[in-house]
Parts: sequence; C-alpha cells; structure tokens
Amino acid sequence: MIPAKQLIHEIVTSLREVIAPAIADPYPKAQAYMAAVILEFVSRQVEERGDIEEQKQSVMIELLRDLSRLPGMSRLVRGDQLSEDGLSDLIGHLYAERSRLGEETFAIANRRVREALRRLLDQDLKVAGKTEG
Amino acid sequence: MVSEPTVQEKIARYLQSNLPRARNLALSDFVHSAGGWSHEIYLFYANWTEDDRAIRQGLCLRKDPGAGLLRDLSSLQEQFRVIKALEATAAPTPKAYWYEEDPSLLGGPFFVMEKVEGEVPNPWSRAGKQFYAEAAKRGKLPRSFIEALASLHNLDWRAAGLAFIGVPGGGKDFALREIAKWESLIQQSLRKPEPVLTELLMWLKANAPDARRLAFVHGAYRTGNLIIKDDAIAAVIDWELQVIGDPLYDVAYVLSDLNREGSPLLSCVVERDFFLDYYQQLTGIEVDLAVCRYYEILYMMRSTAFWLSASGLFAEGRNRDLRLARTTYSVPVVLDMAAKALGF
Repeated sequence: MIPAKQLIHEIVTSLREVIAPAIADPYPKAQAYMAAVILEFVSRQVEERGDIEEQKQSVMIELLRDLSRLPGMSRLVRGDQLSEDGLSDLIGHLYAERSRLGEETFAIANRRVREALRRLLDQDLKVAGKTEG
Repeated sequence: MVSEPTVQEKIARYLQSNLPRARNLALSDFVHSAGGWSHEIYLFYANWTEDDRAIRQGLCLRKDPGAGLLRDLSSLQEQFRVIKALEATAAPTPKAYWYEEDPSLLGGPFFVMEKVEGEVPNPWSRAGKQFYAEAAKRGKLPRSFIEALASLHNLDWRAAGLAFIGVPGGGKDFALREIAKWESLIQQSLRKPEPVLTELLMWLKANAPDARRLAFVHGAYRTGNLIIKDDAIAAVIDWELQVIGDPLYDVAYVLSDLNREGSPLLSCVVERDFFLDYYQQLTGIEVDLAVCRYYEILYMMRSTAFWLSASGLFAEGRNRDLRLARTTYSVPVVLDMAAKALGF
C-alpha cells in the first residue's frame, strides 16, 4: 500500500493545485483550501500502523516452522523467507517441486501456505476492507 | 508575446490539415472527459463548410498520456487499426479517422474517431445502476447487449484482417499468454511482493484450460464500455484489451461479480439465464461454466495487475490522478475475492 503520509501529501497538493483553483464559488473554494491546511496538520498526527507488520511476521514464523516439519520440505524452507518476498519465492518453489514432493505432501504444504496467506490478507484488509475486521 | 496554443486550438489545426477542403473549421462543445484511466479523451464537434455545405461532425480524440494504466502494454496504433478493421464487420463500433504518431503535436500519439451519439451511464453509480435496471425491465437493451457480443464472436477475424493482434496456438496457449501478459504488467508495477498474488498466478498456470475455439474477444465487455441509444448498443468502445482467444473469456467477464457490484443482473443489465440461453443460441458456442469460472479468477488476477499498476504509477510520481491512488486499497479487496474463489 502507498504510505499514508505520501497519500496525504498528494491529496493536499491536489486540493491546492487542481481542485481549489477550479472552483469559482468562494465558499466551497475556501473549504477546499482549508481542507488542505487541516490535512497538513493531520499528517503530523498520523503514524503508520506497526501492529499489522508484527502480525504478519508471526504468521510467517509459524508457517515456516510447520512447513519445515513436512517430509522433503526442509530444502525448500529457508530462514530468509520470513518476509513477503521470501514467501513468494517459497510458493514458486513449491509448485516447481510439486512432482518431487508428491501430490500428498504438496497438498498439505499448499493448504498450510494458503492458511497463512488468508491470515496475511486479513491483516491488509484491516486497512483496505469495508470495516476493520 | 505569442501565447502557447490551447489543446483545442492544436486539435483544430490538426483537423484542418487533414481536411484540406474544409473552410472556417471550428470546434464546439469541447470536453476533456474524466472517463478512462489509460488515455486522455477529448470529445467535441468539428464544424466546417465544404462546397457551400455546412458540416457538423462529432469526434472523439484518444491520446496516450505517457503514463497510463497499461504502461507499455497499451498501443494506440493497435487500437486504431482494430477499430478501422471492425468498420467492415457487423460489430457496432465508431468509425476511425486518423492516427497520429508525432508527439510534437499534442505531446503524445493520438487518434481521432467518430463520436457515436448516445450515452454511457456509469454502472458503478446509483443513477447508472437505476438506468440499467429500468432498461432491463423494458427488455430491449439486454437483448442488444447479447447481440452485440455475439456479433464480435461470430465475425471472421481473419477475413477482417485482425490476425495482426496475435493468434495463440492451440490448447492452453491462450490462457497462458493472457497470464504472461498480466504478469508482465505486475512485474513492471510491483513495489513489494504479494504472496497471495504469487499463489494465484501459480494456480492459474497449473490449471489453465484448453481453448476449444478462437474468436475475436473484446476483453472488457460490460456496461460502461458500451454506448447506448434508444435502448440498444450503438457502439462497443474501449478497445485496448482485445485479443484473439477463447470467446468464453468475454462470457466469463459478463458472468463475473467484478462487474455488477450489488446488482442481481449481469453487468447490471441482463439476467444470467437469459444471457446464457440467448448467447448460445446466437453463437452456437456451448458455454462451459467451469472454464468461465477459471477465467473469472484470471480476471481477478488481471484486476489486481491493473490496481498495482495504477497505484504504482501514482506512488512513482508518474501520474498524479487521485483516482489511481485510491486503487492501492483495491488490491487486497480483489485478492480477497480471488482467495475465496480458490477456497481460502
């Protein structure tokens, strides 16, 4: 997601340079400029949420722990996969090694990966969803 | 001091150079449309006299903005050639007039086509949904919606000269080509890995269906991309995602929940059973719902690619349109739909 402060900065710029100048009526024009001023103050009050990344990190730790216990998986699971980048690589390797792992192990590993993905997605939906879940 | 000519003046000069017999050429009702995320769109009337006759022609100019949604996957020249090729077919499309490559004229390539009279109600708006729901009750527009789609799928694309857009091989090649295309947009746009998207891509590659036949496919056939006049489709527009491919790809887009947001009607305008029956009757194509379901999931991946591209362009400072910024919040929502479709 685009960082909150960057978004606020761009909205302020748009209010000042695009929206307000295009408004002829003095009252809504003043409202648009004032919204820009207030948003600049709000920007100083805002901090990116840290809890989402913490939750994601613990989801990935649990995932790697569980996957490394499956037969034939130890060579696919690495410590540096404790990131979304690493997890994407792991998913790619899982599909690439599907025939070596066998359908049963692949299915178990894929189910466990998907369970983790659901929990990661739920973290993103705390911001992007209609309501915080 | 000589001031820089306005866009309107530049367009008028361009038209004059292409209409040497036109006298007193002037533009009226000039609108820079807010619609469209990939291109700048200008709508206007050109008024001139020719051989003592007064002529008034509605025109639409589509210009490459340099940093549009599809990035380097978009080709205005291809769009122009497609619309030109469709003129000779039964498909309802605007007439294509001129394509201009020279960026010095308007700041980027552009083409000019006919402005087809009619309206394009926005299906995402309350008023638009109401418009389509009322038209659905009258019955003519749903039929026309299906007939226009069938006219695309029934046309002889080789005879129409449309093979230049690329013809997939047999079997799974069509689906795999589509996945590769949108994966390349993702690669251009991704600022941070999305493991859910990776799983989605891997699943799509592992489960690609065979295309049983090839047709000319619009790629985004829905209300909002159709000009409507008198409860009928006057023109199919937004020619930038077309492919030669499985016609069920378009059928799946009509069936998709992505295009009806809360409406019980497909694309906000047509009942599902009627759509399937009448489409099969007009085309002779048997609709395999399992294949359509696969393509619906592929569209969720494609939507994710669009939103990643749009929010990426904004984040990179290449496009400052706030509508693009808003899509940063759409990525997890579409991925959520895909995850649920895959069962997690």
